[in-house]
Amino acid sequence: MKQIIKIVSSPKIFVYTIIWLMVLVVLGTLAQRDIGLYASQQKYFSANITWLGGIIPVPGGRITMIIMLVNLTFMVLFKQNLWKIKKIGVLIMHIGALLLLIGGGLTAIFSSEGNMVIEEGAQSNRVDDYHDMELTIINTSNESLDKYTVFDQPILGKGNILSHENLNFNIEIISYLRNCEPLKRTAPAGIHYKGMLKNFMLRSLRPEKENSRNRPGITYRITNSGSSSDGIYGLFLGQSVPQTAVINNQNYEFIIRRKRTYLPFAIELLDFKKVMHTGTGIAKSYSSEVNLIENGIPRRVLIEMNEPLRHKGYTFFQSSFIEGPEGEATVLAAVKNYGRSFPYISSIIMSIGLLLHLLKNIPKLLQKNPRVAE
Amino acid sequence: MIKNQITFVLLVIALLSCDSGNHTRTYHLTKAKNKSFTQPAVENKKESSGFTWEKPDLWIPTEGSSMRLASFEVPYSTGSGDLSIMELGGSGGGLEANVNRWRGQIGLDPLTKIEIENEAENGVSELGTYQLFRLINLEKKESAFLTFIVPLKSSTLFIKLNASADGILELEEDFKIFCLSIKLENSNQ
Repeated sequence: MKQIIKIVSSPKIFVYTIIWLMVLVVLGTLAQRDIGLYASQQKYFSANITWLGGIIPVPGGRITMIIMLVNLTFMVLFKQNLWKIKKIGVLIMHIGALLLLIGGGLTAIFSSEGNMVIEEGAQSNRVDDYHDMELTIINTSNESLDKYTVFDQPILGKGNILSHENLNFNIEIISYLRNCEPLKRTAPAGIHYKGMLKNFMLRSLRPEKENSRNRPGITYRITNSGSSSDGIYGLFLGQSVPQTAVINNQNYEFIIRRKRTYLPFAIELLDFKKVMHTGTGIAKSYSSEVNLIENGIPRRVLIEMNEPLRHKGYTFFQSSFIEGPEGEATVLAAVKNYGRSFPYISSIIMSIGLLLHLLKNIPKLLQKNPRVAE
Repeated sequence: MIKNQITFVLLVIALLSCDSGNHTRTYHLTKAKNKSFTQPAVENKKESSGFTWEKPDLWIPTEGSSMRLASFEVPYSTGSGDLSIMELGGSGGGLEANVNRWRGQIGLDPLTKIEIENEAENGVSELGTYQLFRLINLEKKESAFLTFIVPLKSSTLFIKLNASADGILELEEDFKIFCLSIKLENSNQ
């Protein structure tokens, strides 16, 4: 056991991982130019394994930081020489670094970013994710309620078979396209193509650097429905008409859309105001007067640039606005990040540790330097 | 020592490679009153019009004028066209007047009744005999028409698609399939 603790708490692991993180930061920063910010983050910092040049597997940012976290935890818990009064500064620094990594972990696992669009006079309790998609299957057979079965993007990979007790059929993912365009078929489609794919096909496009400009698409096969609905279907983001199918007397709609999160409260837009720079079409400032409605009780709040609304782990920033013929709509960036305080707290803790360690060592430094001693 | 450290790193990677996240969710929502992708008003018109039809999936129901039984935005590779379905009493103003009015809208000279009859593609649909007109001005390709006219007992049904000349050629087959799918609602039962 002692041997294991000695290995896992070795400072060498920390040194290797921090050097490797620096390499990843350089590679990720350079990659942004070619593949954009989001794709670069996913490839170098959020992945367990990063494929260099598409062929060489190396540890990704996530696994590197997990190894660092385990190593630091063992160091703090089991390195006996750290728990001495003369090492108090070093110990505090280690604890600060641990908190920083824990905060990063919380952000990676639980954070989400999206937007909420609300027209004047309307309310919303829904956040649409910026990056993640979902395949939504709605059973619309019931007169009053729609039953939603939602499959998140991570399981929409090629070859995956999706099934759920709510569905009386299976879905096999044929392809998931990060960016695509629908093209009118020039020749008749085969009989196994159904719905939109009878007239159109989805052509894969090179993903845009700005992820929000991509239009994901999916082709899938419905199987085991025991009806003529078995076949190959297609969907793309922003498709005006959802794919429908009647399977065993149940009506279904299939949609690919940005991942939706429903909040336990709603926001009603009372008034949207914008101030433009004189003589230009450039916004100087804009603000949204809203009602935060929770359990039926409204509370009036003003959301302005740099003055977000924080509620139940969510932060709503004034992000943009939409002007239409029937009025204005506000666009609020909704960010949920449980780890947002960790960088501040851990930086303060590490600074205190560094300061204590420095103060403790000043007499020693002065003694060692003969010139200063004189 | 190095060997042990590498073993530790590989063990952590192996343990964390397993994605145990649950990526399937279910929930119920009360039916939306105004879903963006459905057009209840148009559907009601369709029901109350007494006709049924089967449209291609990508055709988008839109709000047309009050005279229309239904309207659709019809996408094609370089744009989208406007399709309208109208039922007018009697002959709806007459074949000659209508066709020449459409021809005038795209800069074509009027034709005599005989010339118009010669231009028509005649056929039989569920609703009765129909006439299909392809109105394209090669010098003014931005707007062209496909029209499908069916005289009924006491009225005339007009289905008109307005798109660019290229769009008309691209959409003609879908348009014909759509027009031929139109039936009187009672005939389904």
